[in-house]
Amino acid sequence: MSSAFVSLQNVSLAYGKTVVVPDLRLDIRKGELVALLGPSGCGKTTTMRAIAGLMSLHAGSISIDGVDMSRTPANKRGVGLVFQSYALFPHLNAFENVAFGLRLKKLPRTEIIGRVEHGLSTVGLSHLAQRKPAEMSGGQQQRLSLARSLVMEPKVLLLDEPLSNLDARLRLEMRTELQRVQRDTGITMIFVTHDQSEALALADRIVLMKDGVIEQLGTADDLYNRPETEFAADFFGFENIFEVSGSSIRGPQGSVSISFTAKAGHLAWRPGAVKIGSGPHKATVRGVAFAGEHREYVFDTGLGQIKASAPAGEPAYELGASLSFDLPEDGALSIPAKN
Amino acid sequence: MTGTWASRLIIGLTLTFLIGPFFIIIAAGLSAGDFLAFPPDGLSLKWYLKVFEVESFRESFALSMFLAVFGTIAALILGVPAAYAISRYQIPYGETIKTIVAAPIIVPGIIVGLALLRYLVVPLNFTITLALFLAHTALVLPYAVRVVSSSLNNLRSDMEEAAVLLGCSRLGAFFRVVLPNIQSGVLAAFILGFVTSFNQVPVSLFLSGPGVRTLPIDMLSYMEITYDPSVAALSALLALMSVVIVFVAEKFLGFSRYV
Amino acid sequence: MFQNNREGLALALPAAVFTAALFLLPVGILLSEAFQVDGQWSLQGYFDFAAKPLNQVVFLRTLKLGFLVAFVSAIIGYAAAFCIVNLDGKHRGRVFGLVVLPLMISPVARTYAWIVILGRTGIVNDAIQGLGLSDTPIRLLFTETAVFLGLLQLFLPLMIISLVSAMENLPKDVVPAARVLGANWLQVFTRVILPLTKDGLVLGGTLVFTGSLTAYITPAILGGSKVLMLETLLYQRVNVANDFVSAGIIATILIVMSFGANLLLKRISAARS
Repeated sequence: MSSAFVSLQNVSLAYGKTVVVPDLRLDIRKGELVALLGPSGCGKTTTMRAIAGLMSLHAGSISIDGVDMSRTPANKRGVGLVFQSYALFPHLNAFENVAFGLRLKKLPRTEIIGRVEHGLSTVGLSHLAQRKPAEMSGGQQQRLSLARSLVMEPKVLLLDEPLSNLDARLRLEMRTELQRVQRDTGITMIFVTHDQSEALALADRIVLMKDGVIEQLGTADDLYNRPETEFAADFFGFENIFEVSGSSIRGPQGSVSISFTAKAGHLAWRPGAVKIGSGPHKATVRGVAFAGEHREYVFDTGLGQIKASAPAGEPAYELGASLSFDLPEDGALSIPAKN
Repeated sequence: MTGTWASRLIIGLTLTFLIGPFFIIIAAGLSAGDFLAFPPDGLSLKWYLKVFEVESFRESFALSMFLAVFGTIAALILGVPAAYAISRYQIPYGETIKTIVAAPIIVPGIIVGLALLRYLVVPLNFTITLALFLAHTALVLPYAVRVVSSSLNNLRSDMEEAAVLLGCSRLGAFFRVVLPNIQSGVLAAFILGFVTSFNQVPVSLFLSGPGVRTLPIDMLSYMEITYDPSVAALSALLALMSVVIVFVAEKFLGFSRYV
Repeated sequence: MFQNNREGLALALPAAVFTAALFLLPVGILLSEAFQVDGQWSLQGYFDFAAKPLNQVVFLRTLKLGFLVAFVSAIIGYAAAFCIVNLDGKHRGRVFGLVVLPLMISPVARTYAWIVILGRTGIVNDAIQGLGLSDTPIRLLFTETAVFLGLLQLFLPLMIISLVSAMENLPKDVVPAARVLGANWLQVFTRVILPLTKDGLVLGGTLVFTGSLTAYITPAILGGSKVLMLETLLYQRVNVANDFVSAGIIATILIVMSFGANLLLKRISAARS
């Protein structure tokens, strides 16, 4: 593909004899912000390390900006990586941390100073240039690590779980920061996360991975509203998934008929799409939890357990109560059978 | 709860048993008399001064110093890369290599000395000093590997990866990022190695020759001949030297966590 | 972690080769000599060695003292470690430092102190004669008791260190919890502390036991030729009789016992995790 800036062709990755990623193809355009999303062990971090050159390829090739990088050592790839742990150098202060790579390039002193100062001001750390990493907060360390990579002007910037070590408030701040940096620099960014909300909020495109295989690739809208596999549906909140058989759906405990025609495959509903209080099916409340704006329920039904939620303003059902419910066509996601 | 007085008593008695004897040798060395006695027969510094005049003590002290300093440096030169390999790579036969390097701790020193004497010094014409140097290096090596390994294990390896991604070579990353951050571990390993080597006796028992004797061996043979308080004075001085080293190391390195 | 394992091997190999060639090889040859009689492989040397009453006495004495020192240091060690762990941070560090300190001091110096204490003109004899319990000095040096005391003082710190670090890893509040559940102090010790600090006890016990077996200075200074232990016997055999076969046999015994204790330690601590 000619528009691909970072291109992984038939990449296979293994630790010893354990193959983690069997055969991956992925093209990323210049200036894109892509999320590698998936549960732990899905191969997302391994893939990122392979792009950085920290992990050698078992098979396949990786090219960046049209150049085959498959055999290029990590220190010659021009790829930046912001580590989950930040990996700052504890013996160097903020300025020296950022200058580290520039000094290795043997740039003139004045240029180094200029670029470091610019880098520190980009992430708002100019006033802390003399501090050691241990004397900085988690959020400051994160931004320092980002600045250290940015001043190298990498072709691609990789970020490993960039928000996971931050508390909720800093997370929002950092997210905004990343978007701004990306807009200002136009740098191609690939970040790894296990948190769907981070991926949805930040990424232009999301690569959902499972067991080393790309499950679905698309925009946030695609993945959130139109997941194509059971795994993707479950990952993005369609927690009630049932197999379609004729005019009924089948759960672990049994089948119930549905009032509309569905294609072969699966049907899935978000908890909020389950209609509570009326309908053809009977349920017993197995669990109930108050979650602010909503009440979350677990029902025992003829299908098995299902999850439902209702606005907190509506009357609450107590544990053990019986009620009617419906799984309406409106809000049902159809996942066509494979083949 | 047990009363704190009981707890204090137990700690007090234990420390008296462990440390009390040193005060006794210090005092015994202060004796003005010609024979070892406690309480001392009058007070004088003459035995403490005499220690420095005994020719054999001076020579053996120099040899022990030489072995402790250079044996430990050699052990670190071999041990730091080994510790690095053990903590950062999945080496083939890693367990075997670890066991080999750790073996000198388990093998009784007296046997090592005898073996080196019989198979290196006698048939291969190694000098006693060289054999001592090799033995002390091998003896200190396990400690060097252990202490340096533990400080490497406390250092996250992604820091080296970060350095590589910023353009460092592997070796460059070691010198620019790893070494500055394990400095205190290496220093602690040096001190532990120095003390271990300096105090080592059994290895040197058979490895001594005319004019080539480590200080502890020299003290042993001196006390066989004479019963004057000079060995007490020398013991007190050595104990004091260790106390100073440990105190300084503890203050600057938090040494006791490495022991 | 790093994938280039040949690089790793190259870094580790010098240390391993050095130790193997200049340390293990000579020791190995020495040990193998004890299995040869007139150039033939044979266990005859061992049978001859075991037949001599002196060797039997020395072997049993070494074993006995090793166990005794380990046992007594465990008792003192538990009491001391429990008290140390319950100190507040600042005092704990200081006391712990004082326990570690003797390990850094020359064993010759440490042992020599006992000559001053136990000698004919030492404190103990002065006290005995001063109290009129005896007119002539009692022989305290060159007895098993003297060697025992010397070894105990030498190795007790190892036991305390092992037990302190085991106790520091005890889950918080288990002791008060057991007390609240109605356990008396003996029960707290046998049912809670002992099982939870087993690893530390095994480690400390092994260090003290093997240390005592292979100590040379203490039996040499405080036991002399009256109270020989395996190490001093080995030295004597070589120095007096050039008897390298006995030396090799004693060496083998010492190594087997050290390795055995070490293996036991690994087995026991592996069984728990």
